[in-house]
Amino acid sequence: MLDSQKLAIAAHLHVLLRRKTGRVTDTEWMVVNQEYASEVVRFARAKAREDHHEDLAQWADKLEAVVLGTPIASVGPDSLLPSAARTAGQTALDRLRERARQEGSYVRGLR
Amino acid sequence: MRTFVSLAAVLTACATAGAWAQSVPAAGAAPAPLTRPGLVPFDAISGADTAWMMTSIALVLLMTLPGVALFYAGMVRRKSVINTMASVVAIAALVSLLWFAAGYSLAFTPGNAWFGDASRMGFSGMEYLKDAKQVVVSHIAPHIPESVFAMFQLTFAIITAALVVGAVVERMKFSALLVFISLWSLLVYAPIAHWVWEPGGWLARLGALDFAGGSVVHINAGVTGLVCAYFLGPRRGYGREAFEPFNLGLTMVGAAMLWVGWFGFNAGSAAAADGRAGLALLVTHVAAAAGAMAWMAGEWLMRGRPSLLGLCSGLVAGLVAITPASGFVTPASALLIGAVAGIACYWGATGLKRMLGADDSLDVFGVHAVGGIVGSLLTGPLASKMVSGAEGNLAVQALGVAAVAGYALVGSALLLLLTRLLVGLRVDEQTELAGLDIGQHRERLGA
Repeated sequence: MLDSQKLAIAAHLHVLLRRKTGRVTDTEWMVVNQEYASEVVRFARAKAREDHHEDLAQWADKLEAVVLGTPIASVGPDSLLPSAARTAGQTALDRLRERARQEGSYVRGLR
Repeated sequence: MRTFVSLAAVLTACATAGAWAQSVPAAGAAPAPLTRPGLVPFDAISGADTAWMMTSIALVLLMTLPGVALFYAGMVRRKSVINTMASVVAIAALVSLLWFAAGYSLAFTPGNAWFGDASRMGFSGMEYLKDAKQVVVSHIAPHIPESVFAMFQLTFAIITAALVVGAVVERMKFSALLVFISLWSLLVYAPIAHWVWEPGGWLARLGALDFAGGSVVHINAGVTGLVCAYFLGPRRGYGREAFEPFNLGLTMVGAAMLWVGWFGFNAGSAAAADGRAGLALLVTHVAAAAGAMAWMAGEWLMRGRPSLLGLCSGLVAGLVAITPASGFVTPASALLIGAVAGIACYWGATGLKRMLGADDSLDVFGVHAVGGIVGSLLTGPLASKMVSGAEGNLAVQALGVAAVAGYALVGSALLLLLTRLLVGLRVDEQTELAGLDIGQHRERLGA
């Protein structure tokens, strides 16, 4: 994912947090610092539970997926979960292909 | 000079070329063959061979400057592009000076089976005596001036060191890289070159075939790169974040320079402008094309789409694999070698890379070591006696691969430990996150 796309997700979460919780965050630092991003995600989820803001939780999930690389069940059809591709009837080649596709976009390697 | 020949063949070639010993023989007597660098009359030099070798020097140096620099810089993240390029330039200059200070002497003088002597140290030798009409030649390539031979060898020493940069980008201290490469060039590269290419070297005596550097250059650089990657540790965010390459167009331009320059790398290793060089050039091209197509096919099958980076990587894989074989095989064998390398190196840069677990940033091991191993081993069964007069032996090739890989591994590890003690290896977290361009050079790319 491009840095600009990550920033867009971070900016969206920043706006939601500002609007719904009054908390001000550092958008650029969210993208480059994983500890900071983790804390923002934790805070956003906590607030989402307390005040029933479902969109806060969704955008927290998205930020976690792109910055921390953690597969999240609530991420949509372009899920990074390899297990999503493992069905009973898949051949070994299909599994290799699925893994190759999901590991594309320069994570864990250029090729 | 990449050809392995038996001692008898060296003597025969020298006698045929009319090379003279350091003392003038009696009238009518055949000139004694050279067994170490020595003076010869001007007319013992082949103008055609010399011209081709000088051209090859330019081609191979272009492979590094700017070939490797562009190839690598295009693949790193934007914030470390300048550092990547600076590393390659600095290494070229550093290795050049060390070569004539000591490296060439350690590699290409007779000495013993393990390393050369000191007769060419300290920028000495390379005599050109206008009044006496004599010029010094190497016993390995007696038809060309030793200055030309030494320069050709230098370009190999340079590119081997420059290839290592690909494994350490985005996190290694610039000072540490310079210290490490200085020591490595003299204590790892030069001895290995001596073992394989000096006729008295122990691997050469056993009959190991390495025409242009499959083991000396590529296995050596690949294993060294992997060891460096383990010592440095992964880049921050590796395996979690997407590390987007800066500009694959630069990578393609670099790969194109590598492809064309490799004609000098392999055909130049014939040290002559002759039919064998012509065949080496042809097989180099065939293997590059086969490697590109094979990698592309593998990637298309596995990922559903071919990529420019895959094409570039595949052609390099083919070139790497044909390197040790280029003076010994037929075009049909080159097709096989290139195709096998394309697939093997694709695996090397993907599945094998995951298994090894190291952040070999630009896949130096996956492409150069794996490709070098494939090519070196296949040279055994595929070497054609019709082409070179030499027969390959798979067991000897395997021994050569193991010896070079083992020495590169141990030697690099020890030198990295020493470098870590002297200057440290890795930049701090802040520098790494901000990028090495600013952190190490206070420079940045334009807008």
